[in-house]
Amino acid sequence: MFEQQLVNGLTLGVIYALIAVGYTMVYGVIELINFAHGEIYMLGAFFCVTFITAFGMPFYVAIVAAMLCCALLGILLDVVAYRPLRNAPRLAALITAIGMSIFLQNLAMIIWGSRAKPFAQEAVPSYLAETAIEWSGVHLAWLQIFILGVALVMMLGLYLIINHTRVGTAMRALAQNKTAAALMGINVNFVISFTFALGSAMGAVAGVLVAVYYNTLYPTMGYVAGVKAFASAVLGGIGSVPGAMVGGVVLGVAEALGAGYVSSLYRDGVAYAVLIAVIIFRPSGILGRAVVDKA
Amino acid sequence: MEPLLKVDNVTKRFGGLLALTDVSFDVRPGEILGLIGPNGAGKTTMFNCIAGVYKPTSGDITFAGQGGAVRTNGLKPEKMTELGIARTFQNIRLFGALSVLDNVRVARHCRTSSNFFGAVLRSRSQKEEEKAIIEESMRWLEFVGLAKHALDGATSLAYGNQRRLEIARALATGPKLIMLDEPAAGMNPRETRRLVDLIHAILDAGVTVVLIEHDMKLVMHICHRLAVLDHGMLIAEGKPEDVRANPQVIEAYLGRGAAHA
Amino acid sequence: MLAKFRPVLFVLAAAALAYPLMPFSNDYLLHVVTLVLVYMVLAMGLNILPGFCGLLDLGFVGFYGIGAYTSGLLTIHYGLSFWVIVPLACANGALWGVLLGVPTLRLVGDYFAIVTFGFAELVVLFLTNEIWLTRGPLGLPGIDPVSFDLTWLNPDWFYELEGEVPYFYLAVLMVAFVWLVMRRIEDSRLGRAWFAIREDTLAASSCGVNILRYKVIAFAISAGIGALGGAFYARWSLFLSPDMFKFWESFLVLCMVVLGGLGNISGALVGAVVLVVLGEGLREILPILGLAPETRFLAYGLIMVLIMRFKPSGFFPAIATASARNPLIRDLKKRLAGYESGDKSGTAA
Repeated sequence: MFEQQLVNGLTLGVIYALIAVGYTMVYGVIELINFAHGEIYMLGAFFCVTFITAFGMPFYVAIVAAMLCCALLGILLDVVAYRPLRNAPRLAALITAIGMSIFLQNLAMIIWGSRAKPFAQEAVPSYLAETAIEWSGVHLAWLQIFILGVALVMMLGLYLIINHTRVGTAMRALAQNKTAAALMGINVNFVISFTFALGSAMGAVAGVLVAVYYNTLYPTMGYVAGVKAFASAVLGGIGSVPGAMVGGVVLGVAEALGAGYVSSLYRDGVAYAVLIAVIIFRPSGILGRAVVDKA
Repeated sequence: MEPLLKVDNVTKRFGGLLALTDVSFDVRPGEILGLIGPNGAGKTTMFNCIAGVYKPTSGDITFAGQGGAVRTNGLKPEKMTELGIARTFQNIRLFGALSVLDNVRVARHCRTSSNFFGAVLRSRSQKEEEKAIIEESMRWLEFVGLAKHALDGATSLAYGNQRRLEIARALATGPKLIMLDEPAAGMNPRETRRLVDLIHAILDAGVTVVLIEHDMKLVMHICHRLAVLDHGMLIAEGKPEDVRANPQVIEAYLGRGAAHA
Repeated sequence: MLAKFRPVLFVLAAAALAYPLMPFSNDYLLHVVTLVLVYMVLAMGLNILPGFCGLLDLGFVGFYGIGAYTSGLLTIHYGLSFWVIVPLACANGALWGVLLGVPTLRLVGDYFAIVTFGFAELVVLFLTNEIWLTRGPLGLPGIDPVSFDLTWLNPDWFYELEGEVPYFYLAVLMVAFVWLVMRRIEDSRLGRAWFAIREDTLAASSCGVNILRYKVIAFAISAGIGALGGAFYARWSLFLSPDMFKFWESFLVLCMVVLGGLGNISGALVGAVVLVVLGEGLREILPILGLAPETRFLAYGLIMVLIMRFKPSGFFPAIATASARNPLIRDLKKRLAGYESGDKSGTAA
């Protein structure tokens, strides 16, 4: 039982990690909590299903197409909604983010209806539907292995981009000191948009994976997942990409164990409780730098 | 004579950075002490340690408050103000959205006491306290020459006047010691002369002054004693004439082999 | 700026107050107006945190909900009078404000905002799951309306509020009370301490303001006012359910405060009017355009984005304006005008 919860928690956790890196990267470069990120995750799932059912794309192609669309959407969000407010009071940018989140959520409701839909299972390769391993009572589905694998590949890719490309270095420089980065000739707007694109693509994949795993998607799925992913980012240390990954896994496991052993009603509450506890007792998170009051 | 403020072997470390190393000096009541040194020497860090913004990594700071000397390490800034140390800031920190008068009225906070119930019920004592606050605030605005601007917005003042407002605000907290962080920065010679008069008036009002300044003419003219910091260490302390001739001081400011400052 | 319109505002206010007594008064309209009044109270309450203190609260609905359910449950289980319940509900709200505030208000702004968000979500979860207490998603019906019980003086003196009209007047009283309290705080040592914290926390503490204590006081008072709105709401709508207290409400009230101008009390009132009217207006207009009424949330979101784009400081950005009406300040103004004509002040001139 415990091992099963662990496996489930791990699967859940890497999905939170995929979403969380998007939050953490954007916060790192522009210190904005991108409330609309949860909606990008949701739209990733919806785009994928639409590409499969309306355009007849094969499974993997649809996923990539959804990633691209969400990356573009992320850039659009930045350019249209956030960039004009770069120098406005912080509260204005935050309200804009929440406003865009509400806008996108309701747009999805209008386009696809507000009821939950099943994923287009006919497009999912059949080998993913079976249980891969059964070992002392623990079921490990090929689907779970698939999710873990995809997540691993994506996080590896992200790591490589951030640490071994020029853009990635620019992102890290921007997160440390925007003025200095600009003075070094970094095209700040481009790098910020790129950050949005990258985070959105990761979030889109997470959306698809969740939709396939639970065989359901609905327009408000971004809200709760978004909060949990954000809690993961804070847990790991906001602004730290490895932190977001670690935080996601820890939260996923904590949630699975909490739901299994304590109370399934308060399943979502685990994330909120973790969020509050981390902020009160260790605001820098697991891997973050110590939080210094700028005064 | 008992020192008003005693800084004793204070060291301040920020992670790997050593900002102050074993700094010791006294501030005597009724004097103007100048804290000078090249940029980055640790002067504002010292102010911040005294004012309670930073806690010294080691060493002691003792202030002669009402009930005798108090060790003030680690006390919060609001407590330090209550004990009688006021300060101004290198980059002026006014309450921009408030009026000139309100900026000074905030400073009376530590000497007054009415609370939520007083505010809402408008009791007689609250009303009297508010009257006293206005009068005391206007007194300090007149002291620095800004009374006629009392109801103007703080940011509408000219730069030099904004500095004076910050000084009025600091004085309104009723301190025994005031620390001025580069009060002459950005001032022309005429404004600087007016500042000198103001500092003398502050002394006459019974408040001891510690001054961080880069304007050497001002410093030499007005300070009774100087303490010189360089790279976080105290390299000289004493009368201005002695300090200006000190070769270490000259080297710190002008480099090796330079003439007098 | 509003001063110019003062005579017009008086006439409008008088007309508004007389309206419900007119034979042609419309109950639906009264209901909407009373709703506006409730939101006015909430907006004034929330305004304390970002407006006076510069702190972002994303979980204000939590206190609204605590106040409402405290009021509803005390009524249902103990039949307490509304007049006893209001201070109890406010105290409960303020208590939670203190409990949440003390450990979290020492944190940097964004972190505090996140904690308040998490708290409000936990409140909703609690209200939804603890069915033994709150009946969960089924909601809490059958709350008694507000009544004046003077039967201890005379057995016939029992008046229960019926219909929209008496609630309208009660709500007006509530708004007037909160408004008065806010204006008095604005022009006081407490209010000045808060504004100082908002403008420059470091300078405020060097003026002797105990930052943590005053932030907690602000949070507690804000929570108490939110709970006041909730207590009224429970005894007015006579039914409560957890989904009335979701994040959307926190966002809506925040928008009202920002729209009006952060820190400006009258602005908060204007913000409440604008956004509630907008919501109701959209609810009517959208079906005419062939869209479902639910799309009004889409419009809300978009409108907030647009307003932030073009007027990020709101419509009435001035703060700390109450002191201008203080007789002591008016005297000072006259004295200073005397100075202008001739004599120079200042010793160190």
